Amino acid sequence: MSDAALPAAPVVYNDDVVRKFMVASLFWAIVAFLVGVYLATELSWPAFNLGLPWTNFGRLRPVHTSAAIFAFGGSALFGTSFYVVQRTCRARLWGGDALANLIFWGYQFFIVMAALSYVMGFSKSREYAEPPWHIDLWLTIVWVAYAAVFVGTLIKRREPHIYVANWFYLSFILTIAVLHIVNNLTWPISVYSASSYSFFSGVQDALVQWWYGHNAVGFFLTAGFLGMMYYFIPKAANRPIYSYRLSIVHFWSLIFIYIWAGPHHLLWTALPDWTQTLGMVFSIMLWMPSWGGMINGIMTLSGAWDKLRTEPSLRFLVTSVGFYGMSTFEGPVMSVRDVNALSHYTDWGIGHVHSGSLGWVAFVSFGAMYYVFPRLWGRTTLYSTRLAAWHFWIATLGIVFYIVSMWVAGITEGLMWRAYDQYGFLQYSFIESIAAVHPYFVIRLMGGLMFLIGGLLMVYNIYRTARGTVVGTPAPALPAVAHPVELAVAGE
Amino acid sequence: MQLRHEILEKNAILLLIASLFVVLVGGIVEIVPLFTIETTVEPVQGVRPYSPLELRGRDIYVREGCYLCHSQQIRTLRDEVERYGHYSLAAESMYDHPFQWGSKRIGPDLARVGGKYSNDWHYAHLANPQEMVPESLMPHYAFLAQNKLETDDIADRMRTLRKVGVPYTDEEIANARADLLAQADPTADASALLKRYPKANVVPGSPDGPTEMDALVAYLQMLGTLVNFADPATEKRLQQ
Amino acid sequence: MDIKPSDLAVGLMWVVFGLAGLFLAAGARDNEMYVFGLSLAGLAVAFDAGLIRRHFNEVDAAAARARAARHV
Repeated sequence: MSDAALPAAPVVYNDDVVRKFMVASLFWAIVAFLVGVYLATELSWPAFNLGLPWTNFGRLRPVHTSAAIFAFGGSALFGTSFYVVQRTCRARLWGGDALANLIFWGYQFFIVMAALSYVMGFSKSREYAEPPWHIDLWLTIVWVAYAAVFVGTLIKRREPHIYVANWFYLSFILTIAVLHIVNNLTWPISVYSASSYSFFSGVQDALVQWWYGHNAVGFFLTAGFLGMMYYFIPKAANRPIYSYRLSIVHFWSLIFIYIWAGPHHLLWTALPDWTQTLGMVFSIMLWMPSWGGMINGIMTLSGAWDKLRTEPSLRFLVTSVGFYGMSTFEGPVMSVRDVNALSHYTDWGIGHVHSGSLGWVAFVSFGAMYYVFPRLWGRTTLYSTRLAAWHFWIATLGIVFYIVSMWVAGITEGLMWRAYDQYGFLQYSFIESIAAVHPYFVIRLMGGLMFLIGGLLMVYNIYRTARGTVVGTPAPALPAVAHPVELAVAGE
Repeated sequence: MQLRHEILEKNAILLLIASLFVVLVGGIVEIVPLFTIETTVEPVQGVRPYSPLELRGRDIYVREGCYLCHSQQIRTLRDEVERYGHYSLAAESMYDHPFQWGSKRIGPDLARVGGKYSNDWHYAHLANPQEMVPESLMPHYAFLAQNKLETDDIADRMRTLRKVGVPYTDEEIANARADLLAQADPTADASALLKRYPKANVVPGSPDGPTEMDALVAYLQMLGTLVNFADPATEKRLQQ
Repeated sequence: MDIKPSDLAVGLMWVVFGLAGLFLAAGARDNEMYVFGLSLAGLAVAFDAGLIRRHFNEVDAAAARARAARHV
C-alpha cells in the first residue's frame, strides 16, 4: 500500500488538470453570481422576466443553483482535491493525463448541458438534481472516473497515513455517488427523449429528494469544503491542525449524523411524525460536530493570529469558518418544529442558504484560490494584496446585506401569514406579504451585486498574478518557482 | 482510540468501506420504512391518477419550475388550514411522479387551488399575472398559449407512469388521445372522459387543437378537488 | 508506435461516447436530446483529436531531442 522508502526521482504532480479546474471554477463563480443578481432583479421588478420562456425566474433559478453549487463549487472541489491528494500522498494522480482530462472536459460538458436544458424547458424539478436523466447518467460516468482517480492516488501514496483532508474528500465523493444515483432514479419515456418520470412519488419521493437535498449540502457543500479547509488553513497559517483527536471525532460524527437531517425540510407536512422527529433531533445534534470542525479550523491559528493582517487567503479562510459556525447553528435552530412553523417557505430559508453558500462555501474557495493560484503559475505572491483586501471587505459587507435583508423578509412573511385580526380572521392576504418585503428584496439585490463586484476584483487580481506582474507590497527576495513540467513519473 | 483509527488511516480501502457504511445507515433507517409501513400513505376515497390532459399540464408545471415559487402542501397549522383549506394528505400526491410539494412561497400554495378561480381568470392570470394581481412577482406565461400541445407521446407517457406504479388501465391508455382532446373541447361528449377520470374539468381549448396553456389550466383546476372533505366518512377516518 | 495504455483506454471510451451521441441525436424526440447527442459527438471528436495531437507532438519532441543529442 505505501512505500516506506522515498522515491528515487522527485514526484512531478499533474497540476495541469488542477489549473484547468481552478480557472473553470473562477469563471463559473462569476456566471453564478451574475445569474443570481439577475434573479434578484427579477424578484424586485418582475418586468425583467421579459415575458420570454428562456429568461424567466422558473427556468433561470436552477441555472443559478447549478452554477453556484456544481459549476463553481464543484470545479473548486475537483481542482483542490487533485491538488491536495497529490501533495499529501506525494504521488502523481493515478490513471494518467488522459483520464484526468476526461474528468475535466466531461464535467464541464455536464455543466453546460444541464444549464442549456433548463433554459430550453427541461427539468426534473428536483432541487439541485434538475438535470434530465441522460445528463445524470453522463455525470455518473465522470464521477466514477473521479472516484477511481482519487482512490487510486490514495492507494499509490508514498505517505503512510492518509491525511484528514482526504477523509473528507473521500466521503464527499462516495456519498454524492450514492445520493445522486438513488435520487435520480427515473424512467425515461424513451431513450431518445429527455423527459422521464421518477420511480418514487408523493411522500416517499419527498423524503428521497430531501435526503438527497440536505446531504448535497452536507457532503458536496460541507464535507468536500472541509477537506479544503483542513489543508489550506494549516498551509496558509504554517501551523498544524489544532487537534488530531478532534479531527477524528469531527469526521465520523459529522458524516454519520448529517444523513439523518433530511426531514427537517418536511416538517408539518404529510411526512410521518416519527420521521419528522428523527430529522429534527438529528439536525439539532448536528450542531456539535459542525462546531467541532469550526473550532478545529479557527484554533489552528493559535499563535499565528497576526498572519490575518498579511495573508489575504487566510482572512477568507478563517472568516469562512466563522460563517460556517453561524450557519450550522442557524440550521439546527430552524429545524426545531416550532421555529420551522414560522420559517418554512419564507425567505429566512434563502437567507440561511446564502449565509452558508456565500459565507462558508464561497469564502473558503476564495481563500484556497488566493493561496493556490500564485503557486500554480509559479509566482511567489499575488499581483495585489490590496485588491484582495478590497474583495474581502466588499464581499463581507455584501453578505451582511444579503443575510440581514432575508432574515427580516422571512420573519415578516412568516408573521404576516399567521396574523389574526381582532375579529379572529386572517389579517393579511398572501400578496400583501409579498408587497411588504419588496424593499428587502432590493437590499438583497445590492448585497448580491457587492458580492459579484468582489468576485470581479478577484478575477482581475488572479489574471494579473498569472501574467506575472506584482504591485504594492514588495515581494521577498525568493527565486521564482520553476513552472512544473508534465513528465511521466518513473514507474507509473 | 488513536491506535485503532490508525488502521483506517493507513488503508484506503478500509477507510472507503467504513465511510460508506456510516453514511448509509441514516438513509436506510428513514427511507425504507416509508415503503413498508402501510399507514404512510393511507388510501383515501376519490384520489385518482391524472387524466391525459391534466398529466400534460403537470408536465408543463414541472418543466417551467412552478414549484420554485408555489408550494403544494398545506401544513397541519391552523392559519394555513384557514387560508388554503384542509391540510394535505399523503394520498393526494401519491401519483405525483415527481412530488411537487415545493419549498418556497413567493406565490400562494396551490394544493387546493382547483375550482377557486374560473377558467377565464386562469388564462388571464397566466398570460399577465400583474393584470389580475398588481403586486405579483410572477413572470408572464403567455407563450404557453402560443405553443401547440405535443400529444403524440401521451400513451408512452402513461405507459411509463404505469411502470413506476400509477395504475392506468389498458382502456385508459388506449383512449388517451381521445380523452385529451375531449377535455379541451367543450362541444365534445365528456361522459367517457368523466367515467374514467371523475371530477375532470373541461377547458375552453383552442381552434387549432389544445395548447400548453389549456393543459396547464386543466391541471390547476383539479388540484385538491378529488377528496370530498365534506363527506363525514372521510373526516371520521382522518380523525383516527 | 508506443501508445500509453491510459491514452488508448480513454480514447476508446470517447469513441463509444461519440457514437452513442450520434445515435441519440439521430433518434432524438426533442430538441434537448438532439443538442446533447450532437454536442457529445463533437466533444468526443475534439478530445480524441487532442489525444492524437498530443501523442504525435511527444513523438516529434523525442525525435528532436535524439537528433540534438547526436549532434553534440
